[in-house]
Amino acid sequence: MTLSSLREQLLPNGPVLDIHVHPVQCFGPYAVASVQEDVRWLTESAQRSGVTKMCIFSLYPSTPYEPTPDQCRQANDYVLTMRDVAPEIFLPFCYVTPAYPDEAVAEIDRCVRGEQMAGIKLWVARRATDPGLNPIMDQAVQLDVPVLQHAWLKTTGNLPGESTPADVADLARRHPDAQIIMAHLNGAGLRGLEALVDVPNVVVDISGGDPETGMVETAVARLGMDRVVYGSDAPIRHFGVTMNKVLGADISADVKQAILWDNAARILNLDARDRIQND
Amino acid sequence: MIDINAWTGHWNTLVLKGDVDTVRHALHRYGVNQIFMAPLDAAWCPNPHLYNDVVYEASDRFDDIIPVPIIDPMLPTWQKELDRAIACTKVRLIKLLPGYGGYDLAETDHVLASVGHTDLGIITQVRIDDPRHQHPLAHVPDVSVSSIVEAAERHPGLPIIIGGASTSTLKSVNESLVTLPHLYADTSQLDGMDAIKILVEDGLLSKLLYGSHAPLFMPGASIARILNDLDDAQAMKIMRENTERFLNDGY
Repeated sequence: MTLSSLREQLLPNGPVLDIHVHPVQCFGPYAVASVQEDVRWLTESAQRSGVTKMCIFSLYPSTPYEPTPDQCRQANDYVLTMRDVAPEIFLPFCYVTPAYPDEAVAEIDRCVRGEQMAGIKLWVARRATDPGLNPIMDQAVQLDVPVLQHAWLKTTGNLPGESTPADVADLARRHPDAQIIMAHLNGAGLRGLEALVDVPNVVVDISGGDPETGMVETAVARLGMDRVVYGSDAPIRHFGVTMNKVLGADISADVKQAILWDNAARILNLDARDRIQND
Repeated sequence: MIDINAWTGHWNTLVLKGDVDTVRHALHRYGVNQIFMAPLDAAWCPNPHLYNDVVYEASDRFDDIIPVPIIDPMLPTWQKELDRAIACTKVRLIKLLPGYGGYDLAETDHVLASVGHTDLGIITQVRIDDPRHQHPLAHVPDVSVSSIVEAAERHPGLPIIIGGASTSTLKSVNESLVTLPHLYADTSQLDGMDAIKILVEDGLLSKLLYGSHAPLFMPGASIARILNDLDDAQAMKIMRENTERFLNDGY
């Protein structure tokens, strides 16, 4: 085997949509001087691993667990500028906090209805069982965009506002018309994954944790091939390490393509979005 | 390519096919043709030495498997187990699991000194799995990387590998890795955007050794983190040449 053929083996043979990416400004390894530089660091690294498009969400540079509405607004303005720099690559998500439901609704209106952001991001300010999420979910349904909810099942203990997979399942049952992307398959683990089995409006992204053997295969077996999507969680994780959880998995080429592109494209209504952009 | 940090066996929180043939086949798919293999089940055994037979027998069956026996310095029979390793001409490296043996490396100078009189090197495992994912009744904290650096400083001629450290952990001892000539680190748990590219830019190209952490982690992922971001010459240093140099350090 040559290095050249090995390099090919580690890269996808089609387009890849990464549903879970943060700006370098948030968790990255480089000091970022400008949005343009952030875009350059991120796209160069992504393209070396074969990533074509990225859903991007900022959690504000200092990544506070309890962001203010103003910090969310600044975070959202940042990723809107990233899209302005590279519109063919970035699909920005609107970051809001359920601690401020009214402000969150107004920010979603500004970013999703007004700026055509592709989805909504929720992190660790409140657990998914919190009623503060209800108006956010209602608006997501109204605007027909998915909500990406962070979740982990840490045996060392979750953060106070950090959702477990069971919390996400509760959210999905309260809002059966909403499309939810639960972040961090490897964070949920073999136990957390079971919470999602009977909740069809939740897909799981494969980010979070290490590239443990068998996790993607188990997710496909337990949830079905339509409910697993590629997400790297870059720059916290490496684009190619996470992608090779899929490329190296014991699943068919069709299932790999579903995880790397088709499922995310369907959830994001990418065809319709592209048509609007081209018009 | 040489994998300095592979295993065979079972793990309590994952459904794994970790038998020797499966691990070997999985690594061959990616062009790995020398596999330094340690017994995974040893981590949880009160006497980890009892599992070393697994890798000695594997190395008898396959030329490309090099046994990496676990030595527990707290067991009264550590010298006998070390003597067994010395007597096996294929053994080049022993592995220490301080996290699972429940000891501090500062207590192991007698063993390190003894290994220093042989042709063997040592790999000390910082972590096997993420503490956030461990079984709630079986938590094993990471081994302090500074304890490994201090051991390397006390035994400057002994080739030592920091095994299974995270990117941030390695960055915290970057300077020691540069200055201590016989201290190396494996790549098996380096993650994050551009992680190895940045460590290389920080001067560690000659100190990184490819490790897969198979069968716990997927081999493709372990190679992508190197090959996707480095040119051929840099990648081959990490995936082969540095390990050859490390192995010659003991002679």
